Amino acid sequence: MTKIILNGREVDADPEQPLIHACHTAGTDVPHYCYHPGLSPVGSCRICQVEVRMNAEAPPRVMVACRTPISEGMIVDTDAAPAHAARKECLEFLLKNHPLDCPICDKAGECTLQDYSFDEGQGAGRTVEPRRKLEKRKDLGDVIVLDQERCILCSRCVRFMDEIPKTPQLVVSQRGADSVIETFMDRPLTGNYQGNLADVCPVGALTLKPFRFKARVWNLQKSASTCAECSRGCSITTEVLRNGELKRFRPRANPDVNGYWMCDTGRFAFEHANAPERLAGAALRNGQGWTAVHPIDALEVARDMLVTHGTALLVASPFLTVEEGAALVALGRELGARPMFVSPPKNELADDLLHTGDPCPNRRGLTELGIDGLSAHDILAKIAEHESVVLVGERVAELMGPEALAALPAALRMIVFDSHLLDVPAADVCIGVPIHVERAGTWINIDGHAGRIAHARPAPAGVQLLTRSLEGLADLLTSETRAR
Amino acid sequence: MSGTETYLLDGCARAGSHTLDVYRKHGGYDTLARVLKELTPAEVTEIVKDSGLRGRGGAGFPTGLKWSFMPDPAQDDRTRYMALNADESEPGTCKDRVLLREDPHRLIEGCLIAAWAMQLSAVYIYVRGEYRLPYDRVQAAVNEARAAGLVGAKILGTDFSCEIFMHKGAGAYICGEETGLMESLEGKRGHPRPKPPFPAGFGLWGQPTTVNNVETIFNVPFILERGADWFKNLGTEKSPGNFLCGVSGHVERPGVYEVPLGMPAQRILDEHAGGVWKGRALKAWFPGGSSTGLMPASTIDTPMDHDSIRGIGSMFGTGAMILLDETACVVRASFVIARFYDHESCGQCSQCREGTQWLSQIFERIEDGRGRPEDIDLLTDLAHGMAPGKTICALSDAAAIPTHSVVKHFRAELLEHIELGRCPLQAKRVAEGAPA
Repeated sequence: MTKIILNGREVDADPEQPLIHACHTAGTDVPHYCYHPGLSPVGSCRICQVEVRMNAEAPPRVMVACRTPISEGMIVDTDAAPAHAARKECLEFLLKNHPLDCPICDKAGECTLQDYSFDEGQGAGRTVEPRRKLEKRKDLGDVIVLDQERCILCSRCVRFMDEIPKTPQLVVSQRGADSVIETFMDRPLTGNYQGNLADVCPVGALTLKPFRFKARVWNLQKSASTCAECSRGCSITTEVLRNGELKRFRPRANPDVNGYWMCDTGRFAFEHANAPERLAGAALRNGQGWTAVHPIDALEVARDMLVTHGTALLVASPFLTVEEGAALVALGRELGARPMFVSPPKNELADDLLHTGDPCPNRRGLTELGIDGLSAHDILAKIAEHESVVLVGERVAELMGPEALAALPAALRMIVFDSHLLDVPAADVCIGVPIHVERAGTWINIDGHAGRIAHARPAPAGVQLLTRSLEGLADLLTSETRAR
Repeated sequence: MSGTETYLLDGCARAGSHTLDVYRKHGGYDTLARVLKELTPAEVTEIVKDSGLRGRGGAGFPTGLKWSFMPDPAQDDRTRYMALNADESEPGTCKDRVLLREDPHRLIEGCLIAAWAMQLSAVYIYVRGEYRLPYDRVQAAVNEARAAGLVGAKILGTDFSCEIFMHKGAGAYICGEETGLMESLEGKRGHPRPKPPFPAGFGLWGQPTTVNNVETIFNVPFILERGADWFKNLGTEKSPGNFLCGVSGHVERPGVYEVPLGMPAQRILDEHAGGVWKGRALKAWFPGGSSTGLMPASTIDTPMDHDSIRGIGSMFGTGAMILLDETACVVRASFVIARFYDHESCGQCSQCREGTQWLSQIFERIEDGRGRPEDIDLLTDLAHGMAPGKTICALSDAAAIPTHSVVKHFRAELLEHIELGRCPLQAKRVAEGAPA
């Protein structure tokens, strides 16, 4: 580490990184558009101008922080009047052809062109010339829409495609003020990482089709969480509207896991979370139908079944957290059973960037608890040898195969902890559980990194935490044993 | 300074000057042979340094010093290149064209001497796309030289080998910027690279590279043949040698003239270019291409060398004088220049991409009679936002400098346009048959 003086304070700077990195690391914001910590620096937007003196005797010079190497003892002033003036001038140029359509722009509220113009720009434009007329909604495939008028040509998107998924698909074509971002021959974008383009775009030029005009970003409540789609467990932000509707997953910077990125599979995996007809509280089979009951009452019925129908098979969902897994293991001890989890086959989404192809986000955490993964087929074979079975955790029924579960004999005693009612002949007790965005906990990823999942929104009324249900059931079994 | 001795264009005057036979008949490649046999690379660089030769591409940087920035081959065994900048495209500049077309072998000899001095393995000659005949002549000369054992492996029977490759540009001004040229040579868009790293450390394909102008390299065989002292005798103390002055605009005899550095512009105009045409008076002039700023006629007696021109607040540039007579409209001239930079900006840097367009639009508006009084301050503010040194390369500066100079020296004419709501000189031009 090298020592530099930043705004009068001595700070450590990584000599391998440009000056702007040291400023950001030290908590000093320096406006930037083309610079992105995950991409190669090009130094073209010229907004990150700060005042630098190589030593106390050297004259001050205004230079771009993203292309200035660190040198021992350099004195940096991000607040110097000439630096502010240079950034103000730069913003005037950036806004010369910008359509200023913030009121209808999806990026408004998280647009750094807007933010820095507000911080440092001038109040009124001085151009009387007509603004550039370009394509407002150019379709770049299934994920991205491009508004060429809003683009400030920072080329982050081009570099992202070149450097991260290494599938160069975007280019700057034309020259000078006619420059535009395009795909070659207008071909649609491909690949599983397109969604990141909307994140790296500092303005509203690249927007996500699934998110366009769906929410104002200042209405979104954000929680730091972990992606559920594979055993990479990318760090993400879960963004929820006030009504609880999940609107967006976005990558959260984490150098140990995912860098700055996430795949589209994870990004758009909120259909399950927004699925209607959740099981609120619990339900008991009543002849052909179901009766809604309080979870406590349902647990008592479950206890009675487990006591009278031999050793139960405990089948967990791969989405169980470490905490839930531990509660399940404790329950297993009461029942003399060792739980297992449904392990779906590897999918074809694996790549050499992030996606592991293993759809179990907590495989490592559950395995370390002694809960092994088995295929649905193997588990069904085991069910046939048991009188009673307990299915535990969100999407467990879906992963076991609803049709296979429907074919199980009505005589089997089946207790289900899932987010939706499992209406099959074998099911006797169904107890609602919160899904991953409704509870806190820990998943251990493929490399042993612990990722926290966040309680981003409340579970439906009456649904209690799975750990509480499992511990409650274990407690009921303990008191039953003592009573005997 | 006698002002009469010439050398640069002497070879060009001979019949068949572009062929190997004629070149060799007049001592061609003898200097190369002597240099390879008698001088070490360091000695060659030292002679060029001692001569005081300054780059003729616009910046006027000392050539020997530039060469000495190349890393020592004993400590850095990377492949080393030179890119010869023949992408001559500064408005008003047409000196290199003459040399490429008429005396290509001297250029090759210069390249090979430079290659020996810097221990290069290849020289890339990047020729402007529009220069078809010059390109063909140089290519033919390289082929002749290769067949004669002058280019390629074991040059003239020595252990020294150096290839020469030709590349034709696609007609972009920005590819004449040294790092834009290297990007273009690598097959990419001609986007200048931020510096540092500098080409001597990280140039073509990441290898140590020197970029030199055609006329600069053309001087090298003469300096090695006749000595640094002979060269220093020509021109001025700080800008020695002769240079090729391309004179264009409203003069009787536009053309490329060889004069010593330091000759007053007035003398070049009168003695070589035949004075301002049609007996008219001079109104304004660019000393060294459009990027150097429009100067008032009162400065025409300035000596044409780097320091004197800097003294009047302009730049020597490529030494291409463009002269405007009293009937010319400086606002229209400014618009034409600004439109050029708008067209040629690569579009990377915000200030340049948007600023060149904006300047062009404002000058056009003022010339069309739609100017506003506040436009003059706006021009100054924009030019201030674009330069100096605020962008990756100097194209933004090149657009800002003429803007500053026209506001400084011709504010009255700008104001007249704005107040009249039209160009005061347009009626006169149309009457003379010029396009409206």
